Amino acid sequence: MSSNINNKITGIGQILRKDWQLYLLLAPMVIWFIVFLYTPMAGLQIAFKDFSLFKGIYGSTWVGFEHFQTLFNDELFIRSIGNTFLISLYSLVFAFPMPIILALMFNELHHAMFKKTAQTIAYLPHFISVVIVAGMVVSFLSPTTGIVNLVLDYFGFEKTYFLTNPDYFRPIFIGSTMWKEAGFESIVYLAAIAGVNPSLYESARVDGASRWQQIWRITLPSILPTIIIMLIIRIGNLVEVGFEYIILLYQPATFETSDVISTFIYRVGLQGSQYDIATAAGLFNAVIAFILVYSANRISRKLSSSSLW
Amino acid sequence: MNSANVTLSVSNVSLKKVYKRYGSTEIVKGIDLEIGAHEFVVLVGPSGCGKSTTLRMIAGLEEISDGTVSIGERVVNKIPPKDRDVAMVFQNYALYPHLSVAENIAFGLKLRKTPKDRVKAAVDEASSILSLDPYLERKPSDLSGGQRQRVAMGRAIVRHPKVFLFDEPLSNLDAKLRTQMRAEIKRLHKRLQVTTVYVTHDQVEAMTLADRIVIMRDGKIEQIGTPMDVFLHPANTFVASFIGSPPMNLLDGKIRKSDGKVAIELNDGCIVPVPHKDGMSFTDGQEVRVGFRPEDLDVVVNDQNHTAPMNCSVDLVEPLGSEALLHLQIAGQSAVAKTTSHGRSSDMSGIANTTQVFGNLKHLHIFDRASEQSIY
Amino acid sequence: MIKRLLPMLVAGIVSASVPTTSAAATDDYRISEKPLEMTIHMHFRDKYAWDENWPVALKAAEMTGITLKGVASRVGTNSQEMFNLMMVAGDLPDVVGGDALKDNFFKYGMEGAFLPLNDLIDEHAPHLKQMLADNPSIRKAITAPDGNIYYIPYIPDGKSARGYFIRQDWLDTLGLKQPQNVDELYEVLTAFRNKDPNGNGKMDEVPYFARQWPELIRLVTLWDARSTGSDAYHEFYIKDDTVRYGYADTEYRVAIRNLAKWYQEGLIDQEIFTRGARSREFLLGNDLGGMTHDWFASTSGYNESLADKVPGINLVPFAPPASPTGVRMEENGRIEVKPDGWAISHANEHPVETIKYFDFVFTDTGRNLFNFGVEGEHWNMVDGKAKFTPEVLNSDKPVNAQMWEIGAQIPVGFHMDYSYERQWTNDIALAGIDMYEKGDYIIPQFSGIAMTVEERKIYDKYWPNILTYMLETQQAWILGSRDVDDDWDNYMKRINDLGFEKVQAALQSGYNRQYK
Repeated sequence: MSSNINNKITGIGQILRKDWQLYLLLAPMVIWFIVFLYTPMAGLQIAFKDFSLFKGIYGSTWVGFEHFQTLFNDELFIRSIGNTFLISLYSLVFAFPMPIILALMFNELHHAMFKKTAQTIAYLPHFISVVIVAGMVVSFLSPTTGIVNLVLDYFGFEKTYFLTNPDYFRPIFIGSTMWKEAGFESIVYLAAIAGVNPSLYESARVDGASRWQQIWRITLPSILPTIIIMLIIRIGNLVEVGFEYIILLYQPATFETSDVISTFIYRVGLQGSQYDIATAAGLFNAVIAFILVYSANRISRKLSSSSLW
Repeated sequence: MNSANVTLSVSNVSLKKVYKRYGSTEIVKGIDLEIGAHEFVVLVGPSGCGKSTTLRMIAGLEEISDGTVSIGERVVNKIPPKDRDVAMVFQNYALYPHLSVAENIAFGLKLRKTPKDRVKAAVDEASSILSLDPYLERKPSDLSGGQRQRVAMGRAIVRHPKVFLFDEPLSNLDAKLRTQMRAEIKRLHKRLQVTTVYVTHDQVEAMTLADRIVIMRDGKIEQIGTPMDVFLHPANTFVASFIGSPPMNLLDGKIRKSDGKVAIELNDGCIVPVPHKDGMSFTDGQEVRVGFRPEDLDVVVNDQNHTAPMNCSVDLVEPLGSEALLHLQIAGQSAVAKTTSHGRSSDMSGIANTTQVFGNLKHLHIFDRASEQSIY
Repeated sequence: MIKRLLPMLVAGIVSASVPTTSAAATDDYRISEKPLEMTIHMHFRDKYAWDENWPVALKAAEMTGITLKGVASRVGTNSQEMFNLMMVAGDLPDVVGGDALKDNFFKYGMEGAFLPLNDLIDEHAPHLKQMLADNPSIRKAITAPDGNIYYIPYIPDGKSARGYFIRQDWLDTLGLKQPQNVDELYEVLTAFRNKDPNGNGKMDEVPYFARQWPELIRLVTLWDARSTGSDAYHEFYIKDDTVRYGYADTEYRVAIRNLAKWYQEGLIDQEIFTRGARSREFLLGNDLGGMTHDWFASTSGYNESLADKVPGINLVPFAPPASPTGVRMEENGRIEVKPDGWAISHANEHPVETIKYFDFVFTDTGRNLFNFGVEGEHWNMVDGKAKFTPEVLNSDKPVNAQMWEIGAQIPVGFHMDYSYERQWTNDIALAGIDMYEKGDYIIPQFSGIAMTVEERKIYDKYWPNILTYMLETQQAWILGSRDVDDDWDNYMKRINDLGFEKVQAALQSGYNRQYK
């Protein structure tokens, strides 16, 4: 038994000696991972501790699952989980296909100048800071001078203070995020489309495919692996809704639909320097995200043979 | 499967003054071409000569800038590819990677909403013609190059088109497979008798496959004819040097007339007599190029009456087995002779030290140096 | 209850209640004969870091012999984070200072990170000792739950902060008087709404607006309710030694009912919740806004800056309208003790010298230095008062920004001198401030409770959710999507279910320990 282990160790030693140049090349990456990704994981333990900055990660006292209990006994936290999932889910349904559709549409444009202009215009919002986007949303939806309400008014509908109505928060949030990001996200699909062999289209045209059939039967199946990878990544982020933009748009009046995990943590945890609770919530997020990605990947591998790993 | 079941209505194809322009650049410069029904026509020429563009105009993948293309009785200039009743096979096969072999073959039929049983019958038929039966459920990525090309052809034939179009279908295959597929295409055409337009840059393919060869250069047709026709009677120096392997040797010289006899003086003063032919006309001192195919140059005299001895020096000997290629300098110009006179011996010293080659005057070609046109 | 630190005198007199002991008389402030260098982490307002080359710091070093060397990185943009990083790093500098650190000073002081200063003050800091003795409420405010003082605070001066402003020219146009009570205010706002005081023929006037929506909630004070207890929004207040919360008072119900009505009738900016920070500029600049509640100093500048754009604009401060019970209340004022200041870390090897340095800042000389900068360079003594030089007063840069650049008026433990601000406040604002101070409208600001670990736990556990719920409901009531009278009983029940009484009890025990 022990000689067996010894053999193994000398075996490893031999392998190391033989290909030491390769292992040397590998080393920086391994060190980087250990130092910047794995070592900080030790910090996760503060989710189970009564954390004090002064006492440090190791000096703080253990409290077990107290923070998790606090979180899960908190109906507002539960509500924020629900809101997070709903916003993500609706984004998945409505916002995820958008860049794909956009990329397909760009691909159908043949006038070079017009195509370039259209693409640039579509990419542009991505580079606008969320603060400005939020400002634009606020002024477009302004009940007195906002363009949306002016149009509503013109057609005889009642003006609405959209941003204080919980029912409108999700459409506004998802819609404006879509406007901001769809163009930029379409780049990855455009790249995938550019990789499709052009003679496939020519062949299909000779075979009798209309433009619509070319999109449906050639472009989409060809970029399906990209779509699936993007979808898996997206599913992994189901529990992540960035708090900056929400905080800029939400109001106490819309908390009912707009308060997500990250804003909850922001209000409850970080504002009060409660890193331990925030870490507990973050850990919960990470575990859920991992389960989601893992399941999505498995399902995808079974159904379509495309997968992240 | 009984091949008699495969009955196809085929069409002739007619190109009249066809132009293709991109902005101010002319790619195809007014070509006229009549392709008869059932005919196998090969467009051949160096890259950039416009042969693929011409084919794509027939297919409808490129707009026709000027002139008309007709398939059968119909002018198809404005008709989209899908309504031209043509099928095309691409150089890179253009198989749909996400579909199985069977689905690839059935693709065109499905688009046309053909009933399922007819689709299946057509796929079965095509796959048996092309021996694809064992692969029907595979994806293209699991096939070899030759198999892929057969699938591409299967996709074309199930459609029962009036015209087959091939765009360099064999150039992605290795030499051996290419020979094999070449034969297969030829057999297929024999069996189906579909009008075929085939584009290649390989003159061997052109020679072996074509009923007629169309040689193109710079967007123009240089010569149309049967393979032997263009081989034996090249219309100009371009065709002469394009068809045949190795290409024809072309040597600069001047016409010398004396005593009613015509001869050509090469640069080194060597004289090549020109046997009389009806209707030949030269002017004294006319600058010409003398053409001998490599197989018409030899180190031994084959026919005493029709020979032109020329001084030469040997640069290099390439033994090919039954033949050997001699790389020569004649009158300061490079030339190649193909000979069997080494007698299949490994000793090349005899031919390597030769200082004279003999041109066969029976197969003498003369071209005007300025116009490049054949004048003899 | 809470005594004001100083009698608020009009001019910038160095108040008599600041002790002037013998040390000041001898003009000898030297603490260390040998130059002594110590380190300080001080990153504040997300932007600035202590710089030993500030004229003020250099002067202080010259006078005391102690140089504080800044160790906080100047590139940081989040002071709280910089503080956290320093704590986590574990290697504490000799002195730690900055803004909004009170809770941290308490928490980590009780854990041993900062030295208790009580004995040091008693033995080595006569000026500080005197100041705390004269102002027991300050002493209470800075005393941690364990009875120790861990930091020397920034003590603001002056009383006023925000006040009510109204378009006097609109009143004149409509022939109205400044509203003296809530009913008159209602009339005036209604007239603003309906009678086109800007004369453009459109009903586009926004009678009441505010840059921050909690300034709308502030109006509950017009019906004797409360929106907060300190200079921050949504805080507890103290009434008869009881910790109370405005949003759980019965007066609040009445007030909200009225505010909802006002909102419904268009007397309040319909977009008040989303219009944001530039609303004041926009609404005044476009001749649309009629009345607001905002800072005296900044709001009084618009008559001049908008004179060309809005001819005749005359936005003036006016006294808080009286509530139905006759109370004129200005809820917002300056807090007595800021949660800013500095502390001595446990790693400091010269605590005595350090507390002496802290004490120096509370001498007349030190106070002038940290308020006005270097004498002769930034200010001169005129009639016994510090007066900024014309270069400082007439510079393109605001005086406060100039002060920050030289290391004065920064959130260290010092006693602010209001005359610093007065010298560059315009007449409109000064008149308003005088009116508010003379009328004694400004109610005292509560400096907050230092909670024990247990109290803090209860507060952290329940309070964020209660507040979230209260604010959600509050907006729904005002916007009219729910009705306060229908909801009230459920609302009160719900906040108690969420733990309101527990939080209140925890705070009450903290208050009793700290202030009673």
